[in-house]
Amino acid sequence: MIAGHFGFAAAVKSRAHQVPLWALMLATVWLDIVFVPLFLTGIERIEQVPGAQGTYGAGLIFADYTHSLLGALVLAVLFGTVAAFAWGRRTAIVLGAVVFSHWLLDLVVHRADMPLLPANVGHFPRFGFGLWRVPTAAMVVEFFIVLVGSYLYWRAARQTVAVGGGSLRRANLAGALILLFGFTVLVLDVTGAMG
Amino acid sequence: MAFILGTILFVVVAGWVDAGLPWPDPKSDSIDENMRENRS
Repeated sequence: MIAGHFGFAAAVKSRAHQVPLWALMLATVWLDIVFVPLFLTGIERIEQVPGAQGTYGAGLIFADYTHSLLGALVLAVLFGTVAAFAWGRRTAIVLGAVVFSHWLLDLVVHRADMPLLPANVGHFPRFGFGLWRVPTAAMVVEFFIVLVGSYLYWRAARQTVAVGGGSLRRANLAGALILLFGFTVLVLDVTGAMG
Repeated sequence: MAFILGTILFVVVAGWVDAGLPWPDPKSDSIDENMRENRS
């Protein structure tokens, strides 16, 4: 899941007006951003599911540090702590929660590959409800999150402009971009275009 | 690649457009404060 995370962050912006959108967008994929260097160095890895078609949701993702329950909580606290220095407690709590929302959304789509503890210490059962086994359903859910998130953001942006002044065209543009970007990212993810 | 492109588009482009809207100050620490800012 990629687009769905961004759609969720846009929805959060509609309820937490004071949190900068760029920070919400960064927070929502923070686990994946930290995953990249660990993946490139072979510490975390992805294995193709035998017999799975295409690339969308066709991997077992052994992100045993960034996507473990405890690892996600630690990354959320770290992100929130940095945000607290910059913007204060309330904004930091929202951003920390958005970081952790990544784990919860991934829990829905991942096959059972998400451990409780980093490096799967203790060899507890791995979690994941496995919606990716039905790629069309996962795709529809992601698209729905993008659609709702961009609509809620657009509505909040227009209300903010109506109250505080500013450009209604810019509010419309921002809402349209979120929808367009979300749809583009989803298509690229589903088709596997661009690798 | 979709992830990298998406991160750039959402964080940089959408974030920049959003930053030009009159949202409340990120440092405001309560809902009431945000509402007062919106009304003023």
